[in-house]
Amino acid sequence: MPQIPSRRGLLFGGAAVGATALLASCTSNEPKNSKPAVSDRPAADDKPGKPVTIGFAGPQADHGWLNAINENAKSRAEKYSDVTLEITEGSNDTAAQIGQIETLINKKVDVLVILPADGKALTQVGLKAMRAGIPVVNLDRIFDSPQAYRCWIGGDNYGMGFNAGQYIGEKLKGKQNAKVVELAGLDNLELTKQRTQGFDDALKNYPNITKVARQAAEFTVESGQSKMAQLLQAQKHIDALWNHDDDQGVGALRAIEQAGRDEFLMVGGAGALSAFEQIKQDRGVLKATVLYPPTMAASAIDLARALGQGKGVSGMAEFEIPASITLFSAVVDKTNVDQYMPTGFR
Amino acid sequence: MTQPATPAQQGGPDAGPSPAPAADAPADGAGPLRLLWARADARTLSLLGVLAVLVLIGGITKPDEFLDTRNLQLVLTLSSIIGVVTVGMTFVIMSGGIDLSVGAIVALSSVWASTVATQEFGFAGVLFTAVLVGVGCGLVNGVLIAYGGMVPFIATLAMLASARGLALHITGGKTQTVSIDGILRLGNRDAYVLGVPPLVLVFAAVTVIGWLVLNRTTFGRRTVAVGGNAEAARLAGIDVRRQRLYLYLLSGLCCGIAAFLLLALVGSGQNTNGNLYELDAIAAAIIGGTLLSGGRGTIVGSVLGVLIFTTISNIFALNNLQSDVQQIAKGAIIVAAVLVQRRTASTT
Amino acid sequence: MAPEPSLLSMSGITKSFPGVRALDGVDLEVQAGEVHCLLGQNGAGKSTLIKVLAGAHQPDDGQITWRGEHITLKSPIAAMRLGIATIYQELDLVAHLSVAENVFLGHEPTTAGFVVRGRDARSATATLLKRLGHPEIDPARLVGELSAAQQQVVSMARALSHDVRLIVMDEPSAALDPDEVDNLFRIVGDLTAAGVAVVYISHRLEEIRRIGDRVTVLKDGRAVAGGLPAESTPTREIVALMTGRNVEYVFPPRPPAGTEYPPPVLTVEGLARDGEFAPLDLELRPGEIVGLAGLVGSGRSEILETVYGARRPSAGRVLVDGTPLRPGSVRSAVRAGLGLAPEERKAQALLMLESVTRNVTVSTLSRFARAGWLDRRAERAAARRATRELSLRPDNPDVPVRTLSGGNQQKAVLARWLLRGCRVLLLDEPTRGVDIGARAELYAVVRRLADEGLAVLLVSSEVPEVLGLADRVLVLREGLVVHTAPARELDEHRVLDLVMEGSPVPTQSVTEEGSATS
Repeated sequence: MPQIPSRRGLLFGGAAVGATALLASCTSNEPKNSKPAVSDRPAADDKPGKPVTIGFAGPQADHGWLNAINENAKSRAEKYSDVTLEITEGSNDTAAQIGQIETLINKKVDVLVILPADGKALTQVGLKAMRAGIPVVNLDRIFDSPQAYRCWIGGDNYGMGFNAGQYIGEKLKGKQNAKVVELAGLDNLELTKQRTQGFDDALKNYPNITKVARQAAEFTVESGQSKMAQLLQAQKHIDALWNHDDDQGVGALRAIEQAGRDEFLMVGGAGALSAFEQIKQDRGVLKATVLYPPTMAASAIDLARALGQGKGVSGMAEFEIPASITLFSAVVDKTNVDQYMPTGFR
Repeated sequence: MTQPATPAQQGGPDAGPSPAPAADAPADGAGPLRLLWARADARTLSLLGVLAVLVLIGGITKPDEFLDTRNLQLVLTLSSIIGVVTVGMTFVIMSGGIDLSVGAIVALSSVWASTVATQEFGFAGVLFTAVLVGVGCGLVNGVLIAYGGMVPFIATLAMLASARGLALHITGGKTQTVSIDGILRLGNRDAYVLGVPPLVLVFAAVTVIGWLVLNRTTFGRRTVAVGGNAEAARLAGIDVRRQRLYLYLLSGLCCGIAAFLLLALVGSGQNTNGNLYELDAIAAAIIGGTLLSGGRGTIVGSVLGVLIFTTISNIFALNNLQSDVQQIAKGAIIVAAVLVQRRTASTT
Repeated sequence: MAPEPSLLSMSGITKSFPGVRALDGVDLEVQAGEVHCLLGQNGAGKSTLIKVLAGAHQPDDGQITWRGEHITLKSPIAAMRLGIATIYQELDLVAHLSVAENVFLGHEPTTAGFVVRGRDARSATATLLKRLGHPEIDPARLVGELSAAQQQVVSMARALSHDVRLIVMDEPSAALDPDEVDNLFRIVGDLTAAGVAVVYISHRLEEIRRIGDRVTVLKDGRAVAGGLPAESTPTREIVALMTGRNVEYVFPPRPPAGTEYPPPVLTVEGLARDGEFAPLDLELRPGEIVGLAGLVGSGRSEILETVYGARRPSAGRVLVDGTPLRPGSVRSAVRAGLGLAPEERKAQALLMLESVTRNVTVSTLSRFARAGWLDRRAERAAARRATRELSLRPDNPDVPVRTLSGGNQQKAVLARWLLRGCRVLLLDEPTRGVDIGARAELYAVVRRLADEGLAVLLVSSEVPEVLGLADRVLVLREGLVVHTAPARELDEHRVLDLVMEGSPVPTQSVTEEGSATS
């Protein structure tokens, strides 16, 4: 290594230090008016009860929707003075997640909420918790065995595709030889296949509509942009687009803008805030999005609290909470977007 | 000394039980220089041949959509970002190293440069940040490898993990939208210069500069020397460690530029940006004829490798074939290219 | 000789490498149950011959007959299947495996073809080790933990684990203490008593006298004598066979005795590396060629590389014109005007994929560049001038350096330093892999460079080369300079004597002065 820094070296070093300081200040991401992206509706029964410790284990929040899951769970738990939330650092590694859940079991939390990185692979640890007397609320990605959870709550991927197809079908009613394209999510995920299946089934009711193309992106903005650009190049004229995921939709919309196309309507998926805002403005092609609500994490906390306190769900006659809850994939368009705006995730 | 060397003598004593020299080696008469030229040309020509075949397939299957100015612009645009990364990667591989962190560096640069705080500094602030973050990561890689004695594979693997982690930490998994018009316009049609997208212009410039640096400067010559025989380079008085440091800096710089282009193209920074760029860039360099062991490679070959991959994916997308088929084809092409390369190497 | 057909007969074996004909029609004939010694200097072709016998090299020409049948040895496995085992000088054991695993590597006793029966392997190994007189080696230990001598025993056990009829031992005693050598000889005796033939390579003539039956002498890729009786052939005759030359080396004339040299350009003060060589003092004056003579392992190359900064000294310093170099810095040495032509030309000096020009200019690149931008025409012209000055052939700096012969590759390395304007040239085995005919030309080049004012430090395992080319000679033994004298006052026998003195095995049967060289 050079022994004595030259004057030029010192100068450069100074610049580097300055630049680092500038860079450090650049990591801040707080917009001036930030507001929580969580439903503020009161819980069904929020009078303080028996204290409950809830363990929460989810995958790494490397995606807008998963991030919203964590935030929903956290802020929901904060609302209850009787709930203590033990949240693990998210991990996509099955082994790591198993270890985290076992730690929670050893800590003897009262209830576990688990969003497994891989439902099948984590079934055993779910069983273990149940056998240890800790009820498990299984969030979204379902375990292999019903014995591994006390209650499952999750979205409806098939329903999402189906509702998107039905919405498009109704909008294009009466249009002859209507052409539809699909921008799917990661192809090696089961949920992508379910969404496509639901969409295809819905379109069967509309003989005037043909799905002319389908490409799979990777739930990332970048892949959304590149796949959409090529889809648009392949199809000179389309009437509607169903995009599985609002995150990759950001890229898809960018590609649509770059190609200067606006002859079709676009339906998104999941329920990102940016999508809601564009639907509300009604200036672009994005007319609707089908929910896969991250608020399910807040509901899971409610269910877990109810389990811990031995209560049922208010509004239902039973003393116990249900064993399984499938959420409805509502279609959000201009007519009802205001209602959903607070649940939109970034 | 008096006898001129003949091609038959080229299996060295340490070649071991290697097969006899291939019989199809060009006959004598042509000087070794001509042979070298013929070989270099043959490699480039075969890549151009592959590209021509692909264009033919695209033209036959989708004549209207494939053979179209817009599609050409599209393919070149989609090649630009990974292309810039591949130019940097080619230098690193030529020197006998590897940079597994390029995708992660692109992700980190793009999210760091697209935070709300950075965007307050405008176009220049974003560009400066993207480049500086890339160079900074390259500096860390370079110092660890050149002066810390770490194996490039391990050092850049560690950088991959930490840069991705830091990118996730900064974004919190959220999509950071770019709101600076000047940057967004670079990705739009109205900014095309005589029909050429600005991203493609940058890609072309990086390619030309990369070619010149590799072939016309002491830096390029030293890179080849270090990759061809690091011990010989050291004993010849080349500062091998400093050269290695510079090479990883260069790769980081290319990642920073690529990150800026990515922001311009997709209009947002996300921690998932640059996903698997390391594999795409290495694959492109290898089918372009760069030896993984270092010492040989060309910028032109790498760029052709990138174009081949993008064109394949374009043809598949236009024909509505799904990603599984696409990945199989990509794997097959890598295997075929490496087999051809081995053949070329064994006749050398 | 016994009339029965020989176990092995090789005839007319020829093998060429680029620029070198390593074997030129060698004959070798080995009987069952004999110890057949192979003698020859470095580069005589011994290693190549045993590699052909081990199936590692394919001969270009010649016939191999094994127990009366004509065979080809396509691979090391083929040789092993026939019962030919080779114990190389650099042991080819896997340090991270146990003794038993090494012994049965590749032919493990198995159940159902794939389940290794480790216990059987260990007990079989223990039996073999006992037979070899080393029952103390635990078959379960890792080979990396054993001493060099013990590793050699393991290597031998591996050979014996096959149904072996011929064992080739390449300098097996080099790494052994005297009592270990006795044990080795006992094993060799046991083997031959059981009908196994041993091909034994050594430069220690006294060993050959003790255990050898017959001797074949190799020189310059030819067998100059085959099947001499090992005990009765006079040493003088053997040494003459090994050193006598068909092609006499032609050495350029030295400056006359009493030449006044300018003050030293290179001064080495107490330079040492622990475990490699003892503190060394040396002065090198412009126009002078100083030679270092010694066996392999005497520290010759290490000294050169330490002077050059490629290794960091544990003590002492190197000065050029009175200014000390930064220890362990090649760049500092090169900047001060040192240049090294290393021993392993291909691995340490040349960019084999590149042209002659690029190999020659690699140390002077910035001279042809402005702000990093190369003037390739100037570069090529300079390379051409430098290579022409050394009459490098072919006279075309654009050819890939790998197509050149060994001598011309060496000239490309010299041209690199010539172009750099280097003042001290360090030559490590400058004629290794260089054709006999091309050597004289290389010697002339080195002498001419010295006459033009270069100081040269030369290292060679070929004693005649050092004596013929150098003005002054330092004789090294085990890292220590044992003698310094003007070259004209020394002869080959005297140097060999100095080099070999204190060999582990007492030289009882050698009556005359002198002994075999490496």
